[in-house]
Amino acid sequence: MAGTKNHDYHILPPDIVPLLSTIGALTFTSGMVLMMHKLPGGHVVPWLGLALLLACMFQWFTKIVHEAHAGDHTPVVQLHQRYGMILFIASEVMFFVGWFWAFFDFSLFPSKIAAEVVGGQWPPKAIEAVINAWDLPLLNTLILLCSGTTLTWSHHALIHGDRDSAKKGLWLTIILGVLFTSIQAYEYIHAPFPFGKNTYGSAFYMATGFHGFHVIVGTIFLLVCLKRMYNGDFTPRQHFGFEAAAWYWHFVDVVWLFLFVCIYVWGNWGAVIE
Amino acid sequence: AEAAAEATAAATEAAGNAAAKAGSYVPMKPVPGIGQPIDGAYGFQEQFSPNGHYALWMHNAILMPIITIISLFVLGLLMWVAYRYRTAKNPVASRTSHNTLIEVIWTLVPVLILVGIAIPSISLLAKQYKPAPENALTIKATGNQWFWTYGYPDNGGFEVISNMLPDEEAVKRGEPAKLGVDNRLVLPVGEPIRLQTTGADVIHSFAVPSLWFKLDAVPGRINEKVLFIEKPGVYYGQCSELCGARHGYMPIAIEALPRDKFNAWVLAQGGELDHQPKPAAAPAAAAAPAAAATEAATAEAAATESAAPAA
Amino acid sequence: MATTAETFQAHGDAHDHAHDHDHKPAFFARWFMSTNHKDIGTLYLIFAIFAGIIGGAVSGLMRLELEQPGIQYLTLWATWFDGKPAEMNTALHLWNVLITAHGLIMVFFMVMPAIIGGFGNWFVPIMIGAPDMAFPRMNNISFWLTVAGFCSLMFSAFVPGDTTGLGAGIGWTAYAPLSTYGSSGPAVDFAIFSLHLAGAGSIMGAINFITTILNMRAPGMTLHKMPLFVWSVLVTAFLLLLALPVLAAAITMLITDRNFGTTFFDASGGGDPVLYQHLFWFFGHPEVYIMILPGFGIISQIISTFSKKPVFGYLGMAYAMVAIGVVGFIVWAHHMYTTGLSVNTKMYFTAATMVIAVPTGIKIFSWIATMWGGSLSFKAPMVWAIGFIFLFTVGGVTGVVLSNGGIDDNLQDTYYVVAHFHYVLSLGAVTSLFAGFYYWFPKMSGKMYSELLAHIHFWVFFVGVNLIFFPMHFLGAQGMPRRYPDYPAAYEHWNHVATDGYKIMAVSVLIFFINIAYAFIAGKKAEDNYWGEGATTLEWTLSSPPPFHQFETLPVIEDAHHH
Ligand code: HEA
Ligand code: HEA
Ligand code: CUA
Ligand SMILES: [Cu+2]
Repeated sequence: MAGTKNHDYHILPPDIVPLLSTIGALTFTSGMVLMMHKLPGGHVVPWLGLALLLACMFQWFTKIVHEAHAGDHTPVVQLHQRYGMILFIASEVMFFVGWFWAFFDFSLFPSKIAAEVVGGQWPPKAIEAVINAWDLPLLNTLILLCSGTTLTWSHHALIHGDRDSAKKGLWLTIILGVLFTSIQAYEYIHAPFPFGKNTYGSAFYMATGFHGFHVIVGTIFLLVCLKRMYNGDFTPRQHFGFEAAAWYWHFVDVVWLFLFVCIYVWGNWGAVIE
Repeated sequence: AEAAAEATAAATEAAGNAAAKAGSYVPMKPVPGIGQPIDGAYGFQEQFSPNGHYALWMHNAILMPIITIISLFVLGLLMWVAYRYRTAKNPVASRTSHNTLIEVIWTLVPVLILVGIAIPSISLLAKQYKPAPENALTIKATGNQWFWTYGYPDNGGFEVISNMLPDEEAVKRGEPAKLGVDNRLVLPVGEPIRLQTTGADVIHSFAVPSLWFKLDAVPGRINEKVLFIEKPGVYYGQCSELCGARHGYMPIAIEALPRDKFNAWVLAQGGELDHQPKPAAAPAAAAAPAAAATEAATAEAAATESAAPAA
Repeated sequence: MATTAETFQAHGDAHDHAHDHDHKPAFFARWFMSTNHKDIGTLYLIFAIFAGIIGGAVSGLMRLELEQPGIQYLTLWATWFDGKPAEMNTALHLWNVLITAHGLIMVFFMVMPAIIGGFGNWFVPIMIGAPDMAFPRMNNISFWLTVAGFCSLMFSAFVPGDTTGLGAGIGWTAYAPLSTYGSSGPAVDFAIFSLHLAGAGSIMGAINFITTILNMRAPGMTLHKMPLFVWSVLVTAFLLLLALPVLAAAITMLITDRNFGTTFFDASGGGDPVLYQHLFWFFGHPEVYIMILPGFGIISQIISTFSKKPVFGYLGMAYAMVAIGVVGFIVWAHHMYTTGLSVNTKMYFTAATMVIAVPTGIKIFSWIATMWGGSLSFKAPMVWAIGFIFLFTVGGVTGVVLSNGGIDDNLQDTYYVVAHFHYVLSLGAVTSLFAGFYYWFPKMSGKMYSELLAHIHFWVFFVGVNLIFFPMHFLGAQGMPRRYPDYPAAYEHWNHVATDGYKIMAVSVLIFFINIAYAFIAGKKAEDNYWGEGATTLEWTLSSPPPFHQFETLPVIEDAHHH
């Protein structure tokens, strides 16, 4: 029958948000260039771009939620979303591979001159003090591990229709996430070594910084889920938004474990390099 | 000819520190077609190092025939199939879409060919990386935007700054434009030289095609490889890593001299002689590199060199 | 998480979304807000052709300047471009800007959008019997981000690159530290962000393709029945998904090194310029297969169609691409043979790189075997496809020469490399693009082009590009370095020939555009299956052009083979 949809796929009407998002993204990156080079507009343009981008993302995700309500998310469409999320996380993993690659290159395979620059040891001579892994970072590790547990608790409660526990678990997860970010911020403020100047700071702050950024994104994701939970969006059988947030959160968690083991513990061990 | 010589001498006089201090040193005249590209040529430049001979042999005797045959084979098959199975001749297509034997063959035969390439290829790499003998002359080439500096740490540590000659000046001196430099990298022939490269600002690359030598000059790294020049002569090269605006204008010119002339040049630069055992009859090096080689390692390198092209 | 239809909230067929399947949206909504895979594919194709014209024109400027030794035009162009009398260094800097723009445009904004965004979007859903892509809205942003990336690259041309002139002159590889403290101006940041934007678009596109192919195949369309073009896009999408994020990390390090004081690639802080090269080529090598694999897929479809035979060794063909994709991730340092790698590393990468010749050979020979015993008709796409097989082989075997670390010591960064990669790209990927274009253009537009013009286009192009690029092997072997606007007189002869070749090639591209114009103005209406019995994939069951939404009722694939 022409013009009648006889399948479960999601066919969408035209949408202006992608184009607007792109304009936001381009404005943001261009504005960043202005800002970084202290050119006119550098104080305004990036924020305008970012605002547009965020507004579009908000719009976009709102639409997805509405479409879920409208019943567009048939089983096969939900399967798409699962695949999409897993693949997205896979690409994120490769993004972090880049940062770890840099870290191991500096700490394990420096060139002769680079080894001299860092004083023949890792952490470099110039780094007078490092962050003690068994101090706040350990605490943060525990916090993130805990948050993984509370999230799983929440998930199980959701599946079993125990809305109260689901909310509690999610609340706890978010609080732990915020706690993690706060401790991380505290650690940054009091860190005994700078961002620039040498590879230790560069590798440390960029790797942990991008992780921190992902924690913030994950926390927002969970917050959205919390709001939706209060709205009663999630049913025991259909709550992919929640699951996606959970996958993302676990991914961020695992990245942290690697960061903790490699950069905080092993990387601060103190060893001669040549 | 006399006028030309006079012009060269005059140019030499004007040519900055090296020549001025050199006294008896007169920059060697390059020989057209040697150590420099030839217009309209198809292949590689003539080689003047043992590794160069081996690599060129490997390219000309192994790689080139193989890739030519493969390309022509594919072309021939395509043409034959196109002719034989055109609709006019073969109106009904067969439905054959599997033949395990042929599939195994066209997997295994390339594997064998590649193994055949890999063996000499690996041994070429091994040769190129044979470390220099302990007491080899060390030379340091530093890439700068946009000129080269050549350090002679074993000869008292003096430095030579090498800039491209302007076109007219190069022509006046009988050098190829864009390749001629004011001060050359002067090196001894017939002995392994430990050439080190580094970059002062961005990455450059020290490359001399007729010596089969190319090594990037990376800031923060000292790269090192052995250079062995068989014959006295002038060998040109060009910076081979994009390094900014004048990337095309920082050529390399090596002047390879017999040991005694090299020593004389070093002394004229105000340098001192390095700890090399000095071969007495250095000029003979031109004819037979093995004669000049005092090191066992060198003799070995030279031996493989003469064996390889014959293989 | 099991989910069943009953558990949907408010599910019902009657929900009143504004989408009306029969009618195409109005102009603005259709082309700027599109969620239709065919329209987005069309946008990609138009964009790619536009970028191809610019990238091709830039290469024309380059060939013009290289026709003779000396600086002929650059000073003039730089004066005109910078708006003030140009100094020598400004003119030379302009050269680096031109080659950078040419490389980036051709790779990121011509080949990739055309072959994956264009043909992939158009035909992957159709070939697997799906009504659209899995994420239609994300599909749209993938396209616009590509455009945004292109805009950012264009911005970079009009702001200072460093103290010498406008534009980013860092090469498409953007090696640090030339791209960090070696070029202080904002142009380089714009160029880097251009890759961020285009890269983000491509990652989303990759997610979209993988999900679509794995989840939306029509009933009966098993993985092993998918047309090879779909296989090729699947493998390509995985390469994109896993390679691009590493590039994103690398160029983010460039940005922070440039602007925020990190020292990833700055030796004075213990950093390492070679690290950048590892990260770049970990992406860069898979990237070259990203550009060619969909081309392989297109060629497979065409050879099979015009031989009136199923593809020979279908499974071998599919898994050869998988093998190329996998091995493609472990050969990257063959671009870095002269950078100071250890001997063992060089030996490993030499051996690993050569391995790729084996699955590629399987493809070449299987194409020939497909033709073997076939009933060949030499329509334009077929002629282009046969041309592809030969030209790609030539490019491939010079790759095998380069893969030998010890040989590459002389050839790295010479015109031999330029010759190699143009044979696989400009004569390989682009030839497969033209082949695909002629194969599918009537399907997409509903109009037939002129067979005669398409054949003339092929032969003129064939002569032209071979004249441009074959002599570059000679130049490279003689030692001519790449990225040079000026050269010793001894390189003149072959450069002259190459430039003459460009002029011939330019005529052929003109013929191409005349042919498109002809098709739109006077072209006959295309039938559903204008290639006849050999064309068996699902797009030939649809009208030309296909309905705005195809497969409202999913097709069911019978057991008969459909490759
Ligand atoms: C579509 C793009 C594409 C493709 C498919 C390839 C394919 C290959 N490339 Fe190429 N390459 C590039 C694009 C591509 N390349 C680019 C852009 C650069 C330069 C980047 C830059 O620096 O700017 C480059 C550079 C490059 C280098 C670095 C050169 C240097 O900078 O010094 C090397 C070295 O190993 C290399 C090797 C190969 C090999 C071995 C293959 C193989 O995959 C080829 C395999 C194919 C065949 C071999 C032919 C068919 C096979 C048979 C008929 C079977 C029988 C054959 C044998 C037994 C040999 N390439
Ligand atoms: C896909 C990639 C691609 C393509 C197609 C081309 C095409 C061409 N290139 Fe390309 N080139 C590169 C990628 C490409 N190049 C890269 C990566 C570099 C290295 C840059 C660097 O060093 O950083 C380079 C460098 C490079 C150099 C070396 C510069 C130097 O080192 O100094 C030269 C010199 O002649 C050159 C010339 C040409 C010419 C004459 C063409 C001609 O063939 C161009 C003619 C145009 C076309 C054939 C395209 C027409 C296509 C369309 C109009 C779209 C069609 C679309 C559909 C059908 C949907 N190129
Ligand atoms: Cu120095 Cu290129
Ligand atoms: Cu490669």
